[in-house]
Amino acid sequence: MQGFLDNLIRHFGHDPATWPWTQFVYLGGMALFAFAVINFAAITAGIFSWAERRVAARMQSRVGPNRVGPGGFLQWVADAVKLLTKEDLVPAEADKILFRAAPYFMMVGFACVFVALPFSHRLVIADMNIGIFFIIAVTALIVVGIIMSGWSSNSKWSLFGAIRSAAQIISYEIPGGIALMIPVMLAGTLSTQGIIRAQGGLPWQWFVFDNPAAFVAFVIYFISALAEGNRTPFDLPEAESELVSGYNTEYSGMRFSYFFLVEWGNMWVMSALATTMFLGGWQIPGVSAATLDAATGGTAVALELLSLAIFVGKTLFWVFVVMWLRWTLPRIRVDQMMNMCWKYLVPMSFAAVAFVAVWMLVVHAVPALGLVMRAIMFVLGVAFTVFFVYRTAQNIRDTGDKFDFTSNW
Amino acid sequence: MAENVTLKPPSRQTPGAFGAYAKNIGDTAKSFFEGMSVTLSYMFRKPITTQYPDRVPVPVRDTIPPRYRGFLEVDMDICTACQACERACPIQVINIDILKGDGKTTPKLRMERFDIDIGKCMYCGLCVEPCPTGAIQHTREFEGSVQFFNNLVLRFVPDPLVPAVPYKPPKGSESFPRRPLGEITRRLIVAWDAPTPPFPTKEQLEADKPKGAEAKKGALDPAALGRQLAARALAAKEDKPKLQKVLEEAMAGTDCGDCGYPDCFGYSNAIAQGKDWAPDKCAPGGADSKAMLETIIVTLKTGVLPEQPAAPAPEGKAAVGAPAAAPEPAETQGPPLAQTLPKDELYKVVLDAMAGTDCGDCDYPDCDGYTKGIVYEGQKELDRCAPGGEDTKAKLYKIMLGTKPPAA
Ligand code: SF4
Ligand code: SF4
Ligand code: SF4
Repeated sequence: MQGFLDNLIRHFGHDPATWPWTQFVYLGGMALFAFAVINFAAITAGIFSWAERRVAARMQSRVGPNRVGPGGFLQWVADAVKLLTKEDLVPAEADKILFRAAPYFMMVGFACVFVALPFSHRLVIADMNIGIFFIIAVTALIVVGIIMSGWSSNSKWSLFGAIRSAAQIISYEIPGGIALMIPVMLAGTLSTQGIIRAQGGLPWQWFVFDNPAAFVAFVIYFISALAEGNRTPFDLPEAESELVSGYNTEYSGMRFSYFFLVEWGNMWVMSALATTMFLGGWQIPGVSAATLDAATGGTAVALELLSLAIFVGKTLFWVFVVMWLRWTLPRIRVDQMMNMCWKYLVPMSFAAVAFVAVWMLVVHAVPALGLVMRAIMFVLGVAFTVFFVYRTAQNIRDTGDKFDFTSNW
Repeated sequence: MAENVTLKPPSRQTPGAFGAYAKNIGDTAKSFFEGMSVTLSYMFRKPITTQYPDRVPVPVRDTIPPRYRGFLEVDMDICTACQACERACPIQVINIDILKGDGKTTPKLRMERFDIDIGKCMYCGLCVEPCPTGAIQHTREFEGSVQFFNNLVLRFVPDPLVPAVPYKPPKGSESFPRRPLGEITRRLIVAWDAPTPPFPTKEQLEADKPKGAEAKKGALDPAALGRQLAARALAAKEDKPKLQKVLEEAMAGTDCGDCGYPDCFGYSNAIAQGKDWAPDKCAPGGADSKAMLETIIVTLKTGVLPEQPAAPAPEGKAAVGAPAAAPEPAETQGPPLAQTLPKDELYKVVLDAMAGTDCGDCDYPDCDGYTKGIVYEGQKELDRCAPGGEDTKAKLYKIMLGTKPPAA
């Protein structure tokens, strides 16, 4: 985005390197982008809250919120208005300052991720050369907010939730981070845009199908992201049935909704990151990144929008998968959560890194092997998908039901 | 799913550490796969829930059983203004305001108000049972959410200045032209979302007062009417049918049977024949009927019209006048009717003494059954008619044994 602002300054006949107002333009641009990003995050989180309720309802043979607006779409606005008008309670025994500040820490940790998160070919706030590293670092800020809220609430449920969350996020940071190293190795860069450019538009050009270890890394990353986002089956920090609501028990009104904003917004973050790292990001099938760079005028705009649509489409699919998982799996126990991380994910992620390192040498020596592996992986992926669809159809048939997606919305 | 469940015993013994490790991973992957395909399959089916209330195929009230006790409904077209429902309600949910008329220029009874506070009603159904015409009934309406609690009052007389005229059921009829159940209440429910009427200010209340008095100008003055009727009764003293008609004019005329007689004719005839001297049995007529009947009865007994400032005749005066006319003691002496009359005559007299509600409280199917039991079958218990109360009991003892009933 700095390049965009520089171009703007040049357009008005100044040299950004010497013009004294350059820094102010940058500041203004930063404020503008920050505003846009936070609003984007808040609105998507709101919409996800509606979508999740609808998806959950359908999976439980219900209908879900369907009153406010078409198909209940405006439900999230109604909820937000309700939460805004509620009293902002601070418990008498709470640490007032920390209690009030905690939601903002969460929001900051969450919104900062968007700085390095790409949306389309050109649309990224800052294409940093340490993009992934930055993202992993700032998501850890959320845990500060959680511990702050749990501690300052002065309630044992909140503290339990916060401690669990800290343990969970710190543990899963390790396999998650290592799994993300695999696309970094394959692409040879930490920049999110660079990683996307290293992949292609067609599925077998994605990193997830590059080799078995990359696929395993994708799964490990996804599981870790679920855990870091406190999503089911890793929602121990806010387990309603045991902890009332975990670290946010004592919160009410808008401050409470910040926590949920972060949780739902996180679905976008984790899915967008998965798309970026493993699933070819905004790459348009059949159009290379170089063509995109070279395009000008109307074509450039059209291609840009297409790449945006592709990126958003992939991301939304994974958001849906996250919701789908939530309504499929029960919550796991704390010991199971720890077991899974340290006994399974961590060793496997190390093994995957080692495998990829070796594999890269092999492919470097015999490039044809890489192609064969991609082809096999892709065919297996398609077979898996087909079998899955078949099983699902069978599940419907077995109960004598029939496919009916449209009625009774 | 079923074919997937394998009941084979595990082929190997406990797997080694690595085997268990790999098996755990495999199990996890498999349960993810199966679980997610099940949940996804539900996503594509029709939800089993129905959206209440506007997407149900038929209104919910039409799907609940016909004897459901929902909101009450009164069909004012067949309501006789007997107020039996109001008296039956154990918690005073029903409020009926009666406007009395003289029976000539204005109807004798009119209802200025017939309110049922659904917010208080406990749906016990006690008000439905005594209704002689089935005017008051439970509907199957049950959706009572309102913005203002006061709106839960159902007003069956919409405008107190246009009082409702009671229905006069044809003699002996057993079915009444009731409007389809629910129609009326449904119309009233529509108004439930209206903002509640504001409380009247003090000025408005003051301003209303003379207006209220004016509205009642056509209403009767019970004392004056009582004297008027008494004069006519005195003139017709010997002509029993005429006397009966005069007496009936003092009654509410709802034929509700609350007096223990089948209808107003029964009660007035009993007085005209000198069989009953109690002036206070007409509950619908209230204090007015009582005052008028008292005036007439006293006049009949003494043969003198009461003085102009006709305060309701005190009890003492009636007692003084009693020995003169004294048909009552004459009857109490002598042998009981049971010994003098033939059985068929006796049957008629006994039947007349019953409350006539055919309620079956006496363990006989109806009044007729109990009467036959006493007259022909030697039934000795004479205190079974609960609706008739002390009066019926007293009469039965007098007729059958010639004594007063034993003190309770
Ligand atoms: S149903 Fe019961 S409570 Fe309701 S009005 Fe009738 S008698 Fe009263
Ligand atoms: S006729 Fe029925 S509804 Fe009317 S006052 Fe009598 S009992 Fe009530
Ligand atoms: S005289 Fe008897 S039947 Fe007639 S209105 Fe009065 S109580 Fe009812």
